[in-house]
Amino acid sequence: MGDIVILGGNSHPELVKMICDNLGVHPSRVQLGKFSNGETSISVSESVREKDVYVIQSGCGHVNDSFMELLILISACKTASASRVTAVMPYFCYSRQPDIPYTAKGAPLISKVKESGAINGKEAQSPLNSTLMTHRPGEDSRFKSLDTAIRATANTMDQHRSHSGTNLKNVASFSRIPMIPGGKEAGSARADAGELFNSQNAGYKLWVAQAGTLIANLLTTAGADHVITMDLHDPQFQGFFDIPVDNLYCQPIAQNYIQHCIPNYKEAVVVSPDAGGAKRATAIADSLKLSFALIHKERRSQLLKGPPTTTGLPMASKPLVTTFNSAEMHPSSSNSKYVQTTMLVGDVRNKVCILVDDLVDTSYTITRAAKLLKDQGATKVYAIVTHGIFSGDALSRISQSCIDKLIVSNSVPQQETIEYLGKENVDILDVSRVFAEAIRRIHNGESISMLFEHGW
Amino acid sequence: MATNSIKLLAPDVHRGLAELVSKRLGLPLIDTVLTRDPTGEVSFSIGESVRDQDIFIITQIGSGVVNDRVLELLIMINASKTASARRITAVIPNFPYARQDRKDKSRAPITAKLMADMLTTAGCDHVITMDLHASQIQGFFDSPVDNLYAEPSVVRYIKENVNFKEAIIVSPDAGGAKRAATLADRLDLNFALIHKERARANEVSRMVLVGDVTDKICIIVDDMADTCGTLAKAADVLLDNNAKSVIAIVTHGVLSGKAIQNINSSRLDRVVCTNTVPFEEKMKVCPKLDVIDISSVLAESIRRLHNGESISYLFKHSPL
Repeated sequence: MGDIVILGGNSHPELVKMICDNLGVHPSRVQLGKFSNGETSISVSESVREKDVYVIQSGCGHVNDSFMELLILISACKTASASRVTAVMPYFCYSRQPDIPYTAKGAPLISKVKESGAINGKEAQSPLNSTLMTHRPGEDSRFKSLDTAIRATANTMDQHRSHSGTNLKNVASFSRIPMIPGGKEAGSARADAGELFNSQNAGYKLWVAQAGTLIANLLTTAGADHVITMDLHDPQFQGFFDIPVDNLYCQPIAQNYIQHCIPNYKEAVVVSPDAGGAKRATAIADSLKLSFALIHKERRSQLLKGPPTTTGLPMASKPLVTTFNSAEMHPSSSNSKYVQTTMLVGDVRNKVCILVDDLVDTSYTITRAAKLLKDQGATKVYAIVTHGIFSGDALSRISQSCIDKLIVSNSVPQQETIEYLGKENVDILDVSRVFAEAIRRIHNGESISMLFEHGW
Repeated sequence: MATNSIKLLAPDVHRGLAELVSKRLGLPLIDTVLTRDPTGEVSFSIGESVRDQDIFIITQIGSGVVNDRVLELLIMINASKTASARRITAVIPNFPYARQDRKDKSRAPITAKLMADMLTTAGCDHVITMDLHASQIQGFFDSPVDNLYAEPSVVRYIKENVNFKEAIIVSPDAGGAKRAATLADRLDLNFALIHKERARANEVSRMVLVGDVTDKICIIVDDMADTCGTLAKAADVLLDNNAKSVIAIVTHGVLSGKAIQNINSSRLDRVVCTNTVPFEEKMKVCPKLDVIDISSVLAESIRRLHNGESISYLFKHSPL
């Protein structure tokens, strides 16, 4: 294996520099830019022939641009006869795929619907409208909402058979009202979205493409021989790759922080903001011998109790009508059909709480969790987050929330976070040493499992 | 292939071409939901079953956020694949990164090859494109590629809109000489060539005209107009050599950067682009722009591909 060569993408130059400093090497010169038509242009200025190349690019900033840049860099090194190319992605983009579409603001639609019920004002309307706007270019599209899209087949069948039944026709056109341009019908649009998720929960699940395998395959296609990343949202993601993936953990660094920077940490409670992160939180709690609590979210729909009504059978024109009717008759009640309960499992009264999560994007979950903890009598809430994406107005939500201190790793640039929240409210965990050590060990063919346990 | 039928998909932006094709074929575009989170991650969902169907994904990739469009396309292809579509055809009239097709200097990426590999990886079974910058790009693919030509549509446009008896076809660079020569042959016209020395990408230096353009309507033909610096300079050269007027016909009007200012301030009479690239908004600010609709070619090729008919007819003829 030849010498080590570190190439940095555009997304996180500081981390690249820190990793190189830790390794005692200079990052190789590489020109990154764009052609005037928006295509990414790169050129590697130093020879990589028979070298062991590490390309560092975090999946942040404008994700698709940085991801394409990474792919092109890998491919350029590969065609330039590099002996091995390793993609180092501190934050792995597209690793978390929602099972429901995002709104334009990034919140999963489902929580937005709930919000609109809570706020019941103009604020809630705009994100919903913009969501529905994603259909906008096809203004003559016959189905203007997610909901009707689901029933597309059934509906077309009905229209093609040219039912003369006025009842049905009325209903069919009525169902299109929510998308009147200009959003005057925001109320019914909201009802529509609510109805959608009710119908979803009632057995017809809107199917969303999962990009995980695709992203993994694209990296392999570009020529990556090895991937290093940190705290993958789903550990199963490793299995999507045909090449070795080293998933590093932020946990040792987080534990180190808890032990050294949280006063009286022995009395603290580690809290997972959702059931999915329970394992991650218990791991920390166990190794530090702390107690543990869990916040559990439950989404229930009243429709769930009945049989699925909208299975979209082409022949079932009658049942379809009744469903439409019942939904349209109580547009305002659609919010009440949808119940969300949040409950805390464990005791946090008069204790310091440490919320642990791998990823914070919209910050809805973590701020809500913090509020619940404070409501339950927690004295102080720390939030330890590996990947702080903080998109949209996440930072303002956090600054207004009950989180007393945010601890976030620098897998994604955190300059803005520090500026927004103030230095005293944010602590940055440095992951560059872990990555540098992993790169050194992989380059030398040593085991990296020690990094899983002890960090660096 | 008993019951499968054509299903047309398009991303949520730049649907103009897809809608034209859909109208031509008399088939609706399938309802899809494509959303982005603020960092740009795309999530995509198809509104109806595409199991065992013949999928055509029509996308226009212009200037600006090319990488977004590429990732969207890949995710759409992959979504169709995992939804058990029988065959997926990507209709990409303006193939992105087509100019990055060779290792022109050390360690330069061959991004066109990467694009081809990525499309295949995502699950694309067939590609329809138009006027590839270099037709050799077809060789980058393991899957079949149909490289359509805008030429028949351009010929029709010239016959209908230009007094072509007085015209001469001009190639703005040596690389496009072949394209210009075939067009000149088709129209039975003379042909001139501008030779240029390019210092850097998107920059033009010295230009030399080969051929006589005195009192002729010059039709500059190229496959791509990006910043239009070349076109503007070529127009100057031609008019300085006593040409009567100059129009430019390009297949892919990417028109990035200062293109609109360049066109508006140039001595070009008209710049005609096909609608492989979305530029409706630019037409509003640039009265010199005109459009050739190639949706009929795409629609016909989709129909022929689906029915297993020959496509070579479209290389010479433009369907109405």
